[in-house]
Amino acid sequence: MAAAQAGNGGAYRRLLAELDAWLARYYARRLPSAVADDAAQEALIAIHAKRHTYDPARPFKPWLVAIARYKWIDRLRAMARQPETELPDTLAAPDHEQGVVGAIVLAELLASLKPAQREVIRLVKIEGLSIAEAAERTGQSESLVKVNIHRGLAKLGRIVQERGDAE
Amino acid sequence: MPNEPLIDALAADLAPVRRRRVGRELLVLAGIGVAELALVLLLGGARPDIGVAMLLPSFWWKLLGLAALSAIGVITAVCSFEPAASPRRGLRLLALAVGLVLAIGWAIDSGGPVTMPLAERLMWHHGLDCVFRMAVLSIPAIVALGVLMRHGAPTDRRASALAVGAASAAWGAFVFAFNCPSDDPLYIAFWYCLGCAIVTLVGRLVLPTIARW
Repeated sequence: MAAAQAGNGGAYRRLLAELDAWLARYYARRLPSAVADDAAQEALIAIHAKRHTYDPARPFKPWLVAIARYKWIDRLRAMARQPETELPDTLAAPDHEQGVVGAIVLAELLASLKPAQREVIRLVKIEGLSIAEAAERTGQSESLVKVNIHRGLAKLGRIVQERGDAE
Repeated sequence: MPNEPLIDALAADLAPVRRRRVGRELLVLAGIGVAELALVLLLGGARPDIGVAMLLPSFWWKLLGLAALSAIGVITAVCSFEPAASPRRGLRLLALAVGLVLAIGWAIDSGGPVTMPLAERLMWHHGLDCVFRMAVLSIPAIVALGVLMRHGAPTDRRASALAVGAASAAWGAFVFAFNCPSDDPLYIAFWYCLGCAIVTLVGRLVLPTIARW
């Protein structure tokens, strides 16, 4: 990164490729698979735009983790703002299994929510069900499903913001 | 790799950047502060009886107290414009310092003679004017800190915005303290707190949206 700040394009390219792989792993564990790629791209762009804030005298990892986490929270809040946007089937279906099993950290976080919120977030945001299907499955009304998704995801964003990152 | 084109584009866009330095930013802010204060004093903003006022403990209380608060606030804010830093510890320290300053003010007040009823001591028409001037004087600070916040990368935007708001508020109140003719701790505590609260609130509400990244 120090070389990149000075304008060394070759070193920067190698760094970004490494970061891309790292970010892909990072978000695979923390977000539903359908939005993990977008989050990784946004994080790459943020790293590029804010590269002047890295101080080479300090370790690189905490800087990187802080930005990745910031974009993670951003993503959770964005999902909370639009609970009714369903994930397209084509995106959720192929790696359905991986989407459910992969987001370990997200699953752990969900455990700290109320059961009603946890359940609808899992159904709609991770498994890709529609609001109507989730309402039928849980016995909550459709508007309650939306409210629960919104509140639950907003709460997750706050939890992540408050606690230090374990990684 | 799916992000190959993006990586190529970013690498192609690479230009050398000037690294962000906390020390440099603090120096710039200090320069702005000195310039603002000098301008206010040169334009005749100092209270006419400043020589007499300097003999009073309450004058030094408000001046030094506000200087300390704005220094803590500015340092907290600027240090938080870096991804891995959090302003929360600084904010707690700031809250503690506010409590301490108010406690000292109360001690000074209880040592003085009790003369006027509450409503007269507060002089609300004067007070509103104070609040207005204080807010105007905090504008340079909130703009400068806002620019730095945007340029940096605060990951706890709301807390950083709160620090910027509080720092600017204390800064504006500090410059205003040279102008304010009141030495009554109760008056100062009430109206300065109100003015600072308004500026802090504005910073907290406006800055997070401006400094998105």
